[in-house]
Amino acid sequence: MKRLVLGGNDAVAYAVKQSHVDVVSAYPITPQTSIIEKIASFIANGEMRTRFIKVESEHSAMAAAIGASATGGRVFTATSSQGLLYMHEVLHWAAGASLPIVMANANRAVAPPWSIWAEQTDSLSQRDTGWIQFYASNSQETYDLLFLSFRLAERVKNPVMVCMDGFLVTHTKEPVAVFGDEIEEFISVKETRPLLDVEKPEAIGALAFPQDYMPVKIEQHKRISSALAEFKTLSDQFERISSRRYDPIYTYGEENADIVIVAMGSNAETAHLAIDLLNKEGIKAKLVKIVMFRPFPKDELIKAFEGAKKIAVFDRNISMGKGGITKDEIVGALGINNVVGIVCGLGGVDVTENDMVKVAKDVLDGKIQEDMILWGGR
Amino acid sequence: MIIPKEEIMKSNHLACPGCGAALAMRLALKALGKKTIVVIPACCWTIINGTWGNNFAGVPVFHTAFATTAAVAAGIKATLEMQGKDDITVMGWAGDGGTFDIGLQALSGAAERNDDIIYVCYDNEAYMNTGIQRSSATPIGAETTTTPSPIVKDRPKKDLMEIVAAHDVPYIASATVAYPTDLIKKFQKAKSKKGFKFIHILSPCPPGHKFPEDKTIEISKLAVETGVFLLYEIEDGKYRINKKPKFKDLDEYLDIQGRFRNTPKEQREALKEAIKRRWEKLLVKAEHFG
Ligand SMILES: Cc1ncc(C[n+]2csc(CCOP(=O)(O)OP(=O)(O)O)c2C)c(N)n1
Ligand code: SF4
Ligand SMILES: [Mg+2]
Repeated sequence: MKRLVLGGNDAVAYAVKQSHVDVVSAYPITPQTSIIEKIASFIANGEMRTRFIKVESEHSAMAAAIGASATGGRVFTATSSQGLLYMHEVLHWAAGASLPIVMANANRAVAPPWSIWAEQTDSLSQRDTGWIQFYASNSQETYDLLFLSFRLAERVKNPVMVCMDGFLVTHTKEPVAVFGDEIEEFISVKETRPLLDVEKPEAIGALAFPQDYMPVKIEQHKRISSALAEFKTLSDQFERISSRRYDPIYTYGEENADIVIVAMGSNAETAHLAIDLLNKEGIKAKLVKIVMFRPFPKDELIKAFEGAKKIAVFDRNISMGKGGITKDEIVGALGINNVVGIVCGLGGVDVTENDMVKVAKDVLDGKIQEDMILWGGR
Repeated sequence: MIIPKEEIMKSNHLACPGCGAALAMRLALKALGKKTIVVIPACCWTIINGTWGNNFAGVPVFHTAFATTAAVAAGIKATLEMQGKDDITVMGWAGDGGTFDIGLQALSGAAERNDDIIYVCYDNEAYMNTGIQRSSATPIGAETTTTPSPIVKDRPKKDLMEIVAAHDVPYIASATVAYPTDLIKKFQKAKSKKGFKFIHILSPCPPGHKFPEDKTIEISKLAVETGVFLLYEIEDGKYRINKKPKFKDLDEYLDIQGRFRNTPKEQREALKEAIKRRWEKLLVKAEHFG
């Protein structure tokens, strides 16, 4: 293990380099570009033995990934925002065909107006495409989650998206513990399988009448749902090698908190500071960070919220006409009514620990009871 | 030349009787053999190949999204290359809608990268699967459900062969089921060459073009003889005309197809003019780049 100073994008590229990826197909978009540039340079240097298909669009990036994966290859791609939305049709295809593709998504606000800055509405609006979704908060997490994602995708036969807030995670340079050979025993295990085999000629994805279609979808739902348990198994193995632990959710602060801050991605980094400040003031507070958003970690959240008086969910995303998306997911899954949703940081607006402290206190005191949009103006 | 005896495609496929696209696949697979993987987007062949649990092509088939044929095929080939399986042919098999229209971007991408695949467009000159709507491959004057008389298709058919030729790929050919040995030879040649190969097959469609189902071969032949469909190859940039049209009376071709029943006179003339112009252009190319 050595330490390198890496942004999230660099960390992704290093992980891909070490993951024996057969095929990369990708199309550039800010702030994802440095991932694929780095991969291209690794291949050019001979550090990576991978076929890089330089496609003409994101729709084709995912389509080529689908073909490569259906033939039994380990496949990676990366995109962001408009590119992810452009893939939408084929995202469903990848998941429906049970293909273990791994994709990094740099979370970026959706136009118009044009924006290149952090927001999670892009990937959260792909919620129902059947992809497993992780949200990383820093470079180390992006690096580690990539390895876990390849193994998890292949284990449960389902694609995985690793999301990172644009610039805040993709470009913030931090020391990252980078593996040497010790990761080999974990990452060299490939559970890919060719669906397309000339010795066993089958048709994949043929027209299914209702009585055939529904069982296939039930099977798919079971497959992705099994990712919660499989992730834990793989995490155990990964922890033995790395001494770093990953779970569907992560908590920080007072175990028996009165106020819980829920965050995902870069907001969770800031929330650590907010929790420290609140605890210093004698307010029992904790952070619950959602690491795995799909499948949704319902049971883990129920446990983490036990005894909490109030829960403040900070969403750097918005479902127009409804509000914060993770807040809605939590209420929908858990059926609880002590939750307030705070939409914040759209289009890359800074969300500070002081913002979080103030809102958390007001939520706890009952001064804020309704969902709100955190916006102080210019 | 003897047509290979082995039948890879199953005879209980779901095409309409007289379907040119079904016959084209049967011949193509005879040429390519069993070590072939086929990618099929949304089109009539989605149905022809059979519903869930069936695979009448007899080789592995990946059913894919409408616009993705060339990209999926490129991805399949990339993994095969990494696996060292160089003896497997990857073929994209799409209709005119999936090629001339929605799949053109992916096709252009794969052609420009020179991905080692065979891309086949079976061209029935409309969106048949969704019920005969016009595509950019529909000829001038043809009636479809979105170009109903009196507002029949008023723009010429896109010249896809030349669009692909602009990508400077190793092999491009046109073929019809009326000349099966010519078609098979072209697939064999495509299989033997590395890089991007494109084969354009005119595929008469009895319900879509409105003609009796036993006239498929006759119409395919007439298309060549009238000059409506030119049989030629572009191999490593060199043009070769395989069959010089006899320039038979175009009306003979039009009059046996109900889709031209309501074609106004001036559009018939426009079609004749377009045929002449295309042939003259091809002659010049064959002379200078033959
Ligand atoms: C993205 C998308 N748009 C539209 C459709 C509906 N659709 C299915 S097949 C088809 C037409 C196919 O036409 P063509 O490619 O010419 O093949 P054919 O049916 O004529 O064999 C259309 C429009 C679809 N499946 N996907
Ligand atoms: S509609 Fe035309 S192309 Fe489609 S299966 Fe029938 S004959 Fe073939
Ligand atoms: Mg068609």
